[in-house]
Amino acid sequence: MNNNSAKAGFLRIIVTMLLSLGIGALFIIGIGENPIDAYMALFKGAFKGKLRFGTTLAGFTPLLLSSVAFAVAAKAGAFNVGLEGQIFLGGIASAYIGINWTFLPKPVLLIVCFLGGALVGAAWGFIPAALKAYYNVSEVCSTILMNTVALYITSYLVSGPMSAGTANAQSHPVTVNLYQFMKPSSANVGIFIALALVLLVLFMLYKTTWGYKIRTVGTNPDHADYVGIDSKKVFIGSMMISGALCGIAGCIEVLGVHGYFLNNFAAGLGGNGMLASLIVKNNVAGAPFMAFFLSVLKAGAMGMQQSTGVPKALVDTITAVFIIIATMETLIQFKEKAKKKDKKEA
Amino acid sequence: MGAIFENLDKIINVSLIYATFRSATPIIFAALCAAITQQANILNVGTEGIMLVGAFTAVAVSYFTGSWVAGVAAAMLAGVLIAMIIGIGHIKYGADNCAIGMGVNMLALALTKFCLNVIFGMNGSFSSPDIQPIPRIKLEFLKDVPIIGEIFCNWSIMEWVVIVLIFALQYLFYKTVWGLRLRAVGQFPVAAKTAGINVNKIKYQAVAFAGMIGGLAGAHLSLGYSTQFVENMTSNRGFMGVAAMYFGGANPVLTTVGCLLFGFADSVGARLQAYGIPSQFVLMMPYIVTIAVLAISMAIKISTTKKRQSSLN
Amino acid sequence: MSEYVVTMSNIVKTFGHVQAVRHGEFTLKKGEIHSLIGENGAGKSTMMKLLYGMYPINSGEIVIKGKKMDHLDPKTAIEHGVGMVHQEFMLVEELTVLENIILGFEPTKGMKIDFDAARKEVQKYIDQYDMEVQLDKKISQISVGEAQRVEIIKTLMRGADVIILDEPTAVLTPQEAKRLFEILKNLREDGKSLVFISHKLDEIMDISDRVSVMRQGQYMGTVNVEDTSPLDLTKRMIGREVFLNIDKAYGKAGETILEVKDVWVSSNKETSKIRGMSLHVKEGEIVGIAGIDGNGQSELIEAITGIRKVEKGSVILKGKDITNLTPKKVRDAGLAHVPEDRNKRGLNRTMSIVDNLVAVQLDEEPFSKNMMITKANQDVYAEEMVKQFDIRPTDYNLPTSALSGGNAQKVVVAREVNMKKPLLIASQPTRGVDVGAIEIIRNTLEKAKKEGAGVLLVSAELEEIISLSDRIVVIHEGKITGELLASEANEENLGLLMMGGKESK
Repeated sequence: MNNNSAKAGFLRIIVTMLLSLGIGALFIIGIGENPIDAYMALFKGAFKGKLRFGTTLAGFTPLLLSSVAFAVAAKAGAFNVGLEGQIFLGGIASAYIGINWTFLPKPVLLIVCFLGGALVGAAWGFIPAALKAYYNVSEVCSTILMNTVALYITSYLVSGPMSAGTANAQSHPVTVNLYQFMKPSSANVGIFIALALVLLVLFMLYKTTWGYKIRTVGTNPDHADYVGIDSKKVFIGSMMISGALCGIAGCIEVLGVHGYFLNNFAAGLGGNGMLASLIVKNNVAGAPFMAFFLSVLKAGAMGMQQSTGVPKALVDTITAVFIIIATMETLIQFKEKAKKKDKKEA
Repeated sequence: MGAIFENLDKIINVSLIYATFRSATPIIFAALCAAITQQANILNVGTEGIMLVGAFTAVAVSYFTGSWVAGVAAAMLAGVLIAMIIGIGHIKYGADNCAIGMGVNMLALALTKFCLNVIFGMNGSFSSPDIQPIPRIKLEFLKDVPIIGEIFCNWSIMEWVVIVLIFALQYLFYKTVWGLRLRAVGQFPVAAKTAGINVNKIKYQAVAFAGMIGGLAGAHLSLGYSTQFVENMTSNRGFMGVAAMYFGGANPVLTTVGCLLFGFADSVGARLQAYGIPSQFVLMMPYIVTIAVLAISMAIKISTTKKRQSSLN
Repeated sequence: MSEYVVTMSNIVKTFGHVQAVRHGEFTLKKGEIHSLIGENGAGKSTMMKLLYGMYPINSGEIVIKGKKMDHLDPKTAIEHGVGMVHQEFMLVEELTVLENIILGFEPTKGMKIDFDAARKEVQKYIDQYDMEVQLDKKISQISVGEAQRVEIIKTLMRGADVIILDEPTAVLTPQEAKRLFEILKNLREDGKSLVFISHKLDEIMDISDRVSVMRQGQYMGTVNVEDTSPLDLTKRMIGREVFLNIDKAYGKAGETILEVKDVWVSSNKETSKIRGMSLHVKEGEIVGIAGIDGNGQSELIEAITGIRKVEKGSVILKGKDITNLTPKKVRDAGLAHVPEDRNKRGLNRTMSIVDNLVAVQLDEEPFSKNMMITKANQDVYAEEMVKQFDIRPTDYNLPTSALSGGNAQKVVVAREVNMKKPLLIASQPTRGVDVGAIEIIRNTLEKAKKEGAGVLLVSAELEEIISLSDRIVVIHEGKITGELLASEANEENLGLLMMGGKESK
């Protein structure tokens, strides 16, 4: 039964994917270009050559973390729209530590940067979670609001106390960096850290008592309370894990990609991560694949624009259509049912 | 900090009143758009996207027809179309409000970029003297009246429209049959149904109407507030509108108060910036206040329910 | 035209495989109050929902005011003057009383709702029947009794002269109930015909002209109120044989395990608030709590198990004060709990049988070690439980949503009983469960008792209470109305106590 529903879910995603690529093709034909050429160019743009593939990987890393972060919170029943704010604050915390705590030996400093980012991200996840658990304040709206607050806090810091004094608002460079292995792209070892974290999260969710509790609270909080699991604490805990993952994503961006804190660097990361997770119904194992697919689309778009006349905004359009269709829970099921009916009548 | 006090009279003066209102107006439109669907219990996360499409359509149509009226009308129509994606997705196909709203925001951002490329061959922004802006109303007779003249004499038409709209919606929600049914549908659909009301029809109407207002919000942004289209020019005003709507509990007048708070923070922030004082703390205030208002109102609600359910009274 | 405004004859109604009404008969005269009584699930509410057109009938005939109704839905029912006040009020909390009353057929003046005209119209009914309501208050600000009056005005405004009230007093305080009766009498005097659904015999004796009884979906006859007595009605309602299918060994009760001392507990319903309840359970005995659903049983159990807050008083388990401890700590102090609603609390339907079986002992060895789940050990345990309790299907990795009611309940019972805690609370343990499972579950409770556990059993089935318990505590509206030894108890004297009456020996 479980297998069947997983299969159906997978099929749904493939159908949705093809449908949105098809709609995209219509757009491309509409502006007088050849969709097959365009899609080929897109593919090449994402994979051909060190720079392009590296850029795809660099874009994939934070998306991977944020999509899994969203899924973990969702497993406990939370809708964490606050990914972006958590990324920003995690990033700024890592940047602060990376710039100022030079008294630490480098390897230790690196670890402390990650810890600091995770901690601050978790703290930023704690606030809306506690408001929800104890005062029933919708975490959707509090996290939307807190994203902007986080953006302002970081933008104040990098244009004020932590400013490098450049025209762009950004911080001084950090003193530790993550090794970039595909130069000139900014792909860095952060991707391995991210992948390891995702595996760790999967392990945590399905092999430990913590994960069991998170899944219980997310599917039936009344049952959780009754068997003696404190559903409020678990809810808050999962939001903090989610926040910590985002904080680490911010840290990787700062230490691995930019080398300093760039104002508003994470714009769109949170939203995309959330959508990657939503498309696969918050399946933690599925989210990374969707995150990869989205980052391929994003990275390939530039190549497509350069070698064909198709503007890269088209790719965002396709992604958006993809997401919109995927969120319509009953749309494709409805079609399946209709098909069944047809079969019966035939 | 000293700079604040030295320049206090330049930061806080009569012109701040209009400046506040001026930066609040697009947010008020957005918040009203969100308030309409909220009354039907649909959280309109897609406000941002509806606005953005409206803004682009308004500029494009005004540019090609040379008529700002046509631009505004087209923007409203485009708003309805985009809003109906949310409406159909949510009401008919069970899409999560938040997810489909975010999807629509993305779609709007991508589509407007795409059209900007394809139609105008531009990247980033488009402006032209051929874009016919929404005119301003100059009240010459007020010009020399102190204070009042400074505040009222040079408003955009849309700024007068928004004031009418606030009170019209207040009237619509609380004094008309449609408004009563809308609120019933939003709060307790089963009760509305037993009273013979077609719940989904009302929801669709609300979404379409919100789309119109959202389109109007966009048109104001690109033809009134400025005369150009810039990629992502809504820059979170849709979300501010949603936040203000939360602040005011979807009541148009209270929601407007929330918007003015945002507008005030925005204009004070801009002035502080001019004197080299960081504006971010002022800018983030409305968000923090909104969260606090939400938390406090929920806490009060919980404690009154507790009291009512207690066995000790 | 006959003397009846409503005639329902030979009614049959099934929901899926469940026969809610097997044979229903009902007549209503103009200007009478006709009570419809029966136990839970006897089909009385269903009968009246059929009259209001909420579901179609399978067979039979409904005649309203001389007209045979072929296709009845709420809209046509309203058009023919039938109104219903549901148990769950159909009122929008954040709208005012006046807005709620006029919703759906608002008088208008131009674009505007004509609130003045509406107010005048409503005031007419308020004055005529002495139904005081505050028109400008929101529903969330008024009392339950007032909300009920709003519902009655709503039906009147819609032109109803046949008004069905589905257990209207279940949510009221005695004072409010008294007030409701005044209104009902006024309505009757004005020629309205009323149907009154209730459990409470004293009320029925007070207000009705005629009483119809239903039992297990079957019509059991109609009597004039002058020709009957509470005892007679109780017999008609419950009069079925008691199956004593368990050889009960009256064990020797040992030390006191659970002590509930003057406990006060909140509830969202007025009548299920617990106000000063005391009871105790000893080792090796089963104490049954008898009572009609919604009289505080759920709240009491939730309070003991730590799910709901105790506002006053204390709960002692094995000498330890467990008042307002977390559910986890209460369990650790020695409690196992089969909850009343297996789908809401008892099980996590999306998770597997084995996951559900270990839910309460997850943090303990051998089911986990250093926070790592030890799946192999869990599987061994699950295999054993599946065999011992005959859980089918036997694949313990299936989600519990795939199980029938009986097998699902066996999973809950297996999990809770197997821990051999000194106190076992079993709430409606056999509700909606097949016969085979009932036997297994009851035997399990018996066995737990023989092994020395104290058992607190809550059940709506009197037969179950009598056949399993050693002592029986009867509750009504959050208070204990009597305590009997099981050997002295029968469905009659328990029934009377459950209705809030005094024990009559």
